Amino acid sequence: MTESNRLLIVDDNEDILSTFYEFFNSMGYEVKTAVDGFAALKLLRDKSNFFDCLITDLVMPNISGVGLISIVKKEYPHLKIIAMTGYGDQPGALASEAKADVVLFKPIDLFKIENTVSELINQEKEIQ
Amino acid sequence: MSTPLIGVSKSILKIKELINHVANTCLNVLITGETGVGKEVVAQNLYAESARNTQNFVKINCAALPETLLESELYGYEKGAFTGAHKKRPGKFQTADKGVLFLDEIGDMPMALQSKMLHVLQSGEFSPLGSDHEFKTDVWVIAATNHNLEKSIAQKTFREDLFYRLNIIKIEIPPLRERKEDIPSLIEYYFRLYSSEYPNNNGSKPGSDILEKLCNYPWPGNVRQLQNCIKKQMILNSWEKILEELPKDQIQIPVAPQFETSYQSQQHGINNAFPTDRTSIISQFVDLSTSSDKLFEDISLKKIKKLASDRVEKEVIAFVLEKVGWNRSRAAKILKISYKTLLYKMDEFEVSPPR
Repeated sequence: MTESNRLLIVDDNEDILSTFYEFFNSMGYEVKTAVDGFAALKLLRDKSNFFDCLITDLVMPNISGVGLISIVKKEYPHLKIIAMTGYGDQPGALASEAKADVVLFKPIDLFKIENTVSELINQEKEIQ
Repeated sequence: MSTPLIGVSKSILKIKELINHVANTCLNVLITGETGVGKEVVAQNLYAESARNTQNFVKINCAALPETLLESELYGYEKGAFTGAHKKRPGKFQTADKGVLFLDEIGDMPMALQSKMLHVLQSGEFSPLGSDHEFKTDVWVIAATNHNLEKSIAQKTFREDLFYRLNIIKIEIPPLRERKEDIPSLIEYYFRLYSSEYPNNNGSKPGSDILEKLCNYPWPGNVRQLQNCIKKQMILNSWEKILEELPKDQIQIPVAPQFETSYQSQQHGINNAFPTDRTSIISQFVDLSTSSDKLFEDISLKKIKKLASDRVEKEVIAFVLEKVGWNRSRAAKILKISYKTLLYKMDEFEVSPPR
């Protein structure tokens, strides 16, 4: 990989966050993390064209994953978004409505999610 | 002119920053916090910072009105929709179009109306009572509650799907006792405000040792209770007296929002603004923070009798069981009830031996 793909991972569970961080780092991605939607939004507004893909949990304090997805799809329509949820169907359905590219239900296999990430990023690169 | 959000604490600064970042997204907002923390102030600040601030800010209290009236207030009605509907009347969804609809006390909305609300939020369409037409509506919904809605969902008094739809952005306002550093600036602000409202007042600002005492008081009624004290001080001009009259022994820090005693909402003016033994006892069984209409609907002697006797029975059963080393047949004999009744009651009150 000449230039590593950049990921933003958002989850209010720090264990999950560090697991994802370690994993994607070891797979050659450049990873940034945020503990809730608000922290993520601030990172995104700060570096708007930096990230290739956003992976976000849905149920979080202040700005929820659904809120984050709605804002991001409006402000940065090219950013690919994967939503993860462990709270039944409701938040997942709202995430699809907010136009998340993929909605995954927890528990999630890390290799599977990495596959999805690379597919989404390659898709976007082909379009460009 | 809306009230600014006063405070220097981390949590208030973070709320201000959050308002700033989300005011133009028009995503549904849920504001939570105990009675008197300033949920409406936050809603007005969201509105004031948004591009909708030239349109209407329409408020409705979902706990203050009976179900049918709340429905017609929200959606409006056509002439002849029901007895007494002499002419067509627009609902809040219509008056708030392109602006903000603030749904206060959403946790008290009856289930049937929650379903209808969900439909409107999903489709952006509503129809007035007695009308066949669906009207498009573009309102920014900001809801507020002092209930723990997750708990209400578990108790099946609040719809989970409506909760997730409202909870897109959540603003949680901590109680005043968790942000004491905001108290001096709140006093400063409201002292000035009321001084200008009542130019002939006798009030004075608190000195440093009084201020310290005020900062250390837990303020169970939050900012609204503090406001009442400042107003009262304008008349009495004695902070010592105000401090003296603050309820001390019985301060019940609300464990859960359901047990809030909401000192101010009794709306009897300043003299009755503080709880007595009576209200603190009653508030253990009935939510006194709602409007009188709702309160009178909730108060039923039969219901309260059951709640009160259940609570005492539970304690007595646990007490006797502990005394006899959890020997249930002995406990049943002492309590003069059958063994079966004891088991039933232990189950009902969730009394179980320590592990």
